[in-house]
Amino acid sequence: MKPTGLLFFPAFDWAISPSHPEREERLLYTRDQIFEEGIMDLPQIREYQPQLASPRDIARVHFCVPSIERIATEAHLVSAGGAIVIGDAFMKGEIKNGFAIIRPPGHHAMTVAHGNRGFCNINNEAIMIEYLRRKYGLRRITIVDTDVHHGDGTQEIYYHDPDVLFISFHQDGRTLYPGSGFVEELGWPPAWGTTINIPLAPYTTDEGILYTIDKLILPLLEEFKPELVVNSAGQDNHYSDPLANMLFTAGGYAELNRRLAPHIAVLEGGYSVESALPYINLALIMAMAGIDSSNLREPDFDRSAFREAPGNMERLKKIAVLQLENFRRREEEQAAQMKKHGDFFSAQRRIYYDTDNISENQEIRQRLCKRCGSYRVIDSAAMHAGGERYRVLCFSISLYSCENCREEARTAYRDSIERALGNYDYIYLQDRAADEYFCFDCSSDDELEVGGQRPEIGGD
Amino acid sequence: MLLGIDVGGTSTDGVLIHNGTMEKSVKKQHSGGGLTESILEVLDELLKERDAAGVRRLVISTTLVTNLLATRSGARTALILIPGRGLPFSFYKITPDTYFLQGNIDFRGKITEKTSEAEINTVIENIKENGIRHIAVAAKFSHRNRSLEQEVAGAIRERYPEAKVTLGSETADRLNFPRRAATAYYSAMTAPQWNEFASRVEEAIQRRGLTAPVEILKADGGTMPLAVSRQRPLETAYSGPAASTMGAVAISPGKENAVMIDIGGTTSDIALLIEGEPLHASRGACIDGRFTHIHALALRSLALGGDSAIKAWEGRVEIAAERLGPAACFGGPAATVTDAFNCHGSLGIGDAELSKSAVAELASTLNMAPRELAAAVVEQVTARLHALIEGMFREWENEPAYKVWEIVNRRSFKLERLIGIGGAAAMIVPLLAERMGVPFTVHRLAPVANALGAAVARPTLAVHLYADTQQKRFVIDQEGIEGPIPNHATFQLAGAEELALEHLARLAEKKGAGSYAKEARVELAEQFNMIRGWSRVGKIFQVRVQIAPGLINEFKGVGV
Ligand SMILES: [Zn+2]
Ligand SMILES: [Zn+2]
Repeated sequence: MKPTGLLFFPAFDWAISPSHPEREERLLYTRDQIFEEGIMDLPQIREYQPQLASPRDIARVHFCVPSIERIATEAHLVSAGGAIVIGDAFMKGEIKNGFAIIRPPGHHAMTVAHGNRGFCNINNEAIMIEYLRRKYGLRRITIVDTDVHHGDGTQEIYYHDPDVLFISFHQDGRTLYPGSGFVEELGWPPAWGTTINIPLAPYTTDEGILYTIDKLILPLLEEFKPELVVNSAGQDNHYSDPLANMLFTAGGYAELNRRLAPHIAVLEGGYSVESALPYINLALIMAMAGIDSSNLREPDFDRSAFREAPGNMERLKKIAVLQLENFRRREEEQAAQMKKHGDFFSAQRRIYYDTDNISENQEIRQRLCKRCGSYRVIDSAAMHAGGERYRVLCFSISLYSCENCREEARTAYRDSIERALGNYDYIYLQDRAADEYFCFDCSSDDELEVGGQRPEIGGD
Repeated sequence: MLLGIDVGGTSTDGVLIHNGTMEKSVKKQHSGGGLTESILEVLDELLKERDAAGVRRLVISTTLVTNLLATRSGARTALILIPGRGLPFSFYKITPDTYFLQGNIDFRGKITEKTSEAEINTVIENIKENGIRHIAVAAKFSHRNRSLEQEVAGAIRERYPEAKVTLGSETADRLNFPRRAATAYYSAMTAPQWNEFASRVEEAIQRRGLTAPVEILKADGGTMPLAVSRQRPLETAYSGPAASTMGAVAISPGKENAVMIDIGGTTSDIALLIEGEPLHASRGACIDGRFTHIHALALRSLALGGDSAIKAWEGRVEIAAERLGPAACFGGPAATVTDAFNCHGSLGIGDAELSKSAVAELASTLNMAPRELAAAVVEQVTARLHALIEGMFREWENEPAYKVWEIVNRRSFKLERLIGIGGAAAMIVPLLAERMGVPFTVHRLAPVANALGAAVARPTLAVHLYADTQQKRFVIDQEGIEGPIPNHATFQLAGAEELALEHLARLAEKKGAGSYAKEARVELAEQFNMIRGWSRVGKIFQVRVQIAPGLINEFKGVGV
């Protein structure tokens, strides 16, 4: 039997600020617990060490404004690089599954990154997935976001991509940051029905979440048949978490992961650093490694304290029925919407960066093509915390674009450089099909190619 | 006079150092007598026509504990565990005589579940009924709170006073409960025979009129007084390679990044020196497939030595793992690695003509020229050693790191020298060094470098401190030292380091290492702010200080 890969990177020298939930102490007790258990000595476990993600790995997913260096610090590169190492180990067949216990987290980071939102700068899961798609030719992927907060960054990154089924359960957006993740958010026309949100009422227990796994998430996986299942593994559904109001337990997390059986889990949030994280992380490791976790529970655990409200179970049943229905009619609905919108679908939105206090205005145009994933154009303007204003234009070509669409996008990028001088600070081209990434600096008239290929990750 | 005696696999070696340099060495092949006898035989040979009263220090490196573990002939030992919450208990069942108790300590040393007196008493009765007289007790996180282990020890003393008890918190310092349990268990198991050995050595030494302190070499390349070894017998396991490595340190020309390569008859041992200091295994010594908290050198072994037979296998020349006898040039039955090197470099070892004909005979079965065959063997031997060494560098470079700074600034091993030790080093190491493009040293003392290493190794001592200012307590991993944190509200990392060093100095004084206490270094210094809500409620510190392995001040070098 192959081992479970474990990459533990607690970033003991990194914090957003000294008393911020994302501080050095966050994984201290987790370190103590898993090292005292001797987890790394077990034959069921193989430990991995992170490498730094390269600028190209970041550029494959993000438009960092003004530059990758300004958005992704060394800590972010190590964290994203940690996810990549585990992904690689899985794809090479060295491990049966893998868990990257990394920080800083990433699931609130969107395609355009002006700064830190919800403690995230760059999206670790998306960076790993795009790396694996590029290197191993993977296409169909499911991300299950089990963090208590809606994984709005990951959702946005894949909102147009019908090959990535993004599922998020989270505390209802009316009661918690970031205030999104409602059942109506189903994806843009080409990918309608491949974003599935499951807003949960506050105080939902293990019972409610496991019901949702069994009756909604597992059937979705069954029908979608992904090549890779990624758990975006937040731990803030725990009853002791200070930032949310759910009643999930460490035992519940173990059960969830046993049933979901993700190939890769990547740590996201979770801020009950002493009362929950050591136990949840251990529970997850044990579940993934196939180790009985019945001897693991929180010291203050009291089974009788957690009863699911009957009304809530009714509500969860309704969501399961509704979302399965939506998912099953997705192709029909995608075709209808594509027809309705013609060549382009466009939308506008405001994005708020809570940590860095940035307001961003975006206008997105998605090229609709019957033959391919085509391209997106994002026009984004934001005032940064230091008072600098940036307006950028971003062209993102799908990995699965046809020759026509790709040429059209590259021409549009060139044209806008000719025409739009003065309107924009930077114009970016993300050509995933060619794996080429460019940044045009309108003030200096320089075009830079994002290089920095990370050296091949070697075996032993 | 300083004496060092190392019991090896095939011989017991001794050296005598006088006025800072080596004056005499002795090598005695094992003759089937006991281990103590062969040590005393070498001791007597070293002291022949000398006054035993002039001996200032005697260091012994012995395979006693290693052998006990390898042959599983230690005393029957019961293991009482308090694992608390976490992995299933079945993961910790090292021996059929494992007993489990309820109780739980968390990572901050807080007791979250009590033990049961009735359960403890039942377990003690069971052990007594089974006639087991040696008991190891280990609890999860007992290095942060030893009270549960002490409760059990107290109950044993009361209800079963004849039993000998070893506690996990006394023998092991860091995080890792399974390693702590294994360390306590193997310590308890080897203690009776070790103590018997210690008593016999003490008595024999007295009879010879030696009044000098007797030290025992440990797996980490340092020494401890014979009396201390009675509490920590397990630390004497695997001291053989440690002796060789300290020998390499003694003959190495400077504080370099070097590889120590000890090539004997059938095996090669490799250790790394980093700026002249031996590298330790990050996981601790492995016993019977289980990691322990015993600090040991990072060592790789290869079944390859001067006596390894060479064979034809599927039309190619192969080096066999086994020994058929001595090299052909010494009258052995078949061609060996030594014979191939002898021909290749015209080294004139033994009867070189015998090497030639053995190599030629094998070459003819492969339709090769003898010269070609010898070159192929040289290539294989050096390639295998080279690959093993490179693997060790990579492992060191990729040691687990948990800080951004460490990942961004990954270290790389810059090799400066090969140091050859052991009988077969002189013929192999020069060619290996040429292949790797580095200078080498094969000292004239290489064949007794192990005993030399024992003679000149200095004492080592490490102290691990854990302090929690919210609980206002600190714990040290040795001798049950714990107490309130002085000025906990303003306690800082520098204070934690100072506190650890203070305790190290005190323990060093007690353990005969007082003169090295001022050379102690901080190996690990961690501090974490504990934030609850948005304000700081305390700090957690972890500090590890140690007197690292090195050479005694009296040693002035061996010359060239
Ligand atoms: Zn969260
Ligand atoms: Zn197209």
